[in-house]
Amino acid sequence: MELTATVAATVAPTALAGERTLPVAAALVPLLPEGALVRGRAVACEGAAATSLAVALTVEATASGSWVAVVDVPWLGVEAAAELGVPLERLVRIDPAPDERNGAAAWAELMGAVLDGFELVVTRVPPRAGAAVLRRVRSRVQHRGAVIVTVGGRLPGAWSPDITVRAAAATWEGVERGWGHLCGRRVTVESSGRRCPRPRRAELWLPGPGGVIAPVAIDAAPDAAQLRPAG
Amino acid sequence: MAVITRGLRPRTPSPDGSLAVARPAGPAPAHRMITVWCPDWPVVAAGVAVDEPAVVLHANRVVARSPSAAAEGVEIGQRRRIAQQRCPDVVLLDHDVDRDARAFEPVVRAVGRFAPRLEVVEPGWLCLAARGPSRYFGGDERLAEQLLAAVGQSGVGIADGRFASAVAARLAATRDRPLVVPPGRSAAFCAPLRMSWLHDLGEATADLVGLLVRLGLTRLGDLAALAPGDVLARFGTPGCHAHRLAGGDDGRPPAGTEPPPARGIERRFDDPVVQLDTVAFVAKQLADELVADLAADGRVCTRLIVTAETDHGERSERAWYRASGMSAAAMVERVRWQLDGWVARPGEVTSGVVVVRLVPDEVRGDDGDQLGLWGGRSAADERAIRAVTRLAGMVGDAGVLVPAWQGGRLPSDRYRWVPASTTDLSDPDDTAERLRPTAVSERAGPWPGSLPAPSPTVVLPELAPAELTDADGYAVQVGGRGDLSAAPATLAVADGAPRPVTAWAGPWPVEEWWWDPARHRRMARLQVITADGAAHLVLAEHHRWWITGHYD
Repeated sequence: MELTATVAATVAPTALAGERTLPVAAALVPLLPEGALVRGRAVACEGAAATSLAVALTVEATASGSWVAVVDVPWLGVEAAAELGVPLERLVRIDPAPDERNGAAAWAELMGAVLDGFELVVTRVPPRAGAAVLRRVRSRVQHRGAVIVTVGGRLPGAWSPDITVRAAAATWEGVERGWGHLCGRRVTVESSGRRCPRPRRAELWLPGPGGVIAPVAIDAAPDAAQLRPAG
Repeated sequence: MAVITRGLRPRTPSPDGSLAVARPAGPAPAHRMITVWCPDWPVVAAGVAVDEPAVVLHANRVVARSPSAAAEGVEIGQRRRIAQQRCPDVVLLDHDVDRDARAFEPVVRAVGRFAPRLEVVEPGWLCLAARGPSRYFGGDERLAEQLLAAVGQSGVGIADGRFASAVAARLAATRDRPLVVPPGRSAAFCAPLRMSWLHDLGEATADLVGLLVRLGLTRLGDLAALAPGDVLARFGTPGCHAHRLAGGDDGRPPAGTEPPPARGIERRFDDPVVQLDTVAFVAKQLADELVADLAADGRVCTRLIVTAETDHGERSERAWYRASGMSAAAMVERVRWQLDGWVARPGEVTSGVVVVRLVPDEVRGDDGDQLGLWGGRSAADERAIRAVTRLAGMVGDAGVLVPAWQGGRLPSDRYRWVPASTTDLSDPDDTAERLRPTAVSERAGPWPGSLPAPSPTVVLPELAPAELTDADGYAVQVGGRGDLSAAPATLAVADGAPRPVTAWAGPWPVEEWWWDPARHRRMARLQVITADGAAHLVLAEHHRWWITGHYD
């Protein structure tokens, strides 16, 4: 019966530690080899839309009850995250204590505590972190069954993410020379990496009109009438 | 083989070595129980002087207040700001449950001299069976007076069953005299009580109480007057439990529907353990196993007996009761309190601990209260909240932040980050108040003067200087009428290379605080798209350009 199925879907405990994956928004499913975020994996977001991609990957899982920790990313736009669909009651930002000398070790210790409580972590990786430190953090991620999404500049080679998601081409719609306002961005996203034997591609609105993620339909050109200047 | 006496249950070791707790046959008699309740115990435990106004705060809300603060109008549950408005001289104290438990030990010991069979609910609230001590002291009233003399400032209530005696104790605390409800009169005593007592004493969820009140059942007597079958059909097991309590019944189910006896878990150490942390760690493992065991049968433990024995035969055994059922964390907390108190007594413990045992003495069906099926606290919530506390200890309160709605025109003004320690992440009302706009914006419309969605994903905490120049290399100016002096051609961010501008929109002027010369700001916002496909939100103020966000 449909009602029972709906009720069962609402009541079903989401993302039990016994389950292997965390759900991901429908538009991003084609990009991931299992169609979801596999627990214990590291995903790296690079390119022009890195922050949006990182947030977009966490939307479905947080909406289903997981908590997301944003570590060492003080410039995250909260409203943008809310528009993409992240429930703000399960978002916590953690800033490591500023300490230039021992940055990587402090970050690793912090990650240990963060991974104890959070299933999703969005963070930057300290560029000068040693291989041993990175290995320890990765094994902790696997042990706790969390998913770690990295943003920010160049990743140290020893990090070797399982999947790398990169926005190749990005086109903003809505702004012309002197009129309009940003409505949406069409991005071609590519995912590659060790867990992705064949590189995958998807064309997305990231964000689409109103701030949500959506796949770009075949007849993709937005209605020109929507883009008239105000007044 | 233990002799069966009224009120005591025999403990028989079953063949596999675990301890099974057998239940008496026949309907459970309504036990005469005494509750001793020390009002505002956290304030007493903190050692505040009697006439000093003080409040104990947890997550920015008042959990206990001293009598002088109460006289000024400070109520439990108020926010810190309101409490300070009511009583400006009030001393603010942090809530420390361990301190409360340690301070409560002497009280437990004092009461323990009257009756061995006592159970502690939480620091400040304990409960014991009245039958034996009452006979010894020659009547309920005499016993109550003795208890009051032993404990001091507190409320002592005697009635049939835990719930009624707990209510009696709370009422007695306001009257400074013990309150004894005659045997068999519990139903009449409970009938005029407000429905909120069920929630205050942890016997029913706030949702259930709210539902009952909305349906017009404002007094316990109204609920008791309904037929039990109807209550079960409409409100389920929790409603049935509330119905029994409202009728003055102890709340324990009759023998016919008894769940099978629950097994205790114990751990024996080969070498005596002297570190309390190790014992607590082992207790956590036992508690996790016990809770999982019970949860598999759909039950939670309401009464737990914690036993610890040392190499030299010293023993600490105490019963802990919690109406809403104990999670693993709650069990470990109680083990720590018990051991702290035991070890703190001089001369009590002369050797290391060799046995730790947890026995679930009373269980009841789990109606989802613990694990939050319908939007309550889930296991993920609990883990995250615990991690937040630990992280705040590692990086400081200012390093663990949560978003709070503020409202404004600039992206950095819309939400601000507040320390997680100033909010109660476990309280859905607190969270809803913190993140209000989803309700507000649907009703009232967008913030006037704000930019429409999408918002920038990168919001710089401080404005970064930028340069926006036209085709001739001159800086672009925003005129008084909100028009640009020339079409922008290049944008240079901070010290980066100039990038060609392919499109722009705006300028959208903003004038804030025009009535206050010190805070007056005139700005204009521009959305700029550069040749690499990146979009930026730039701001013009004082004839200079700044970056306020990127649409990364």
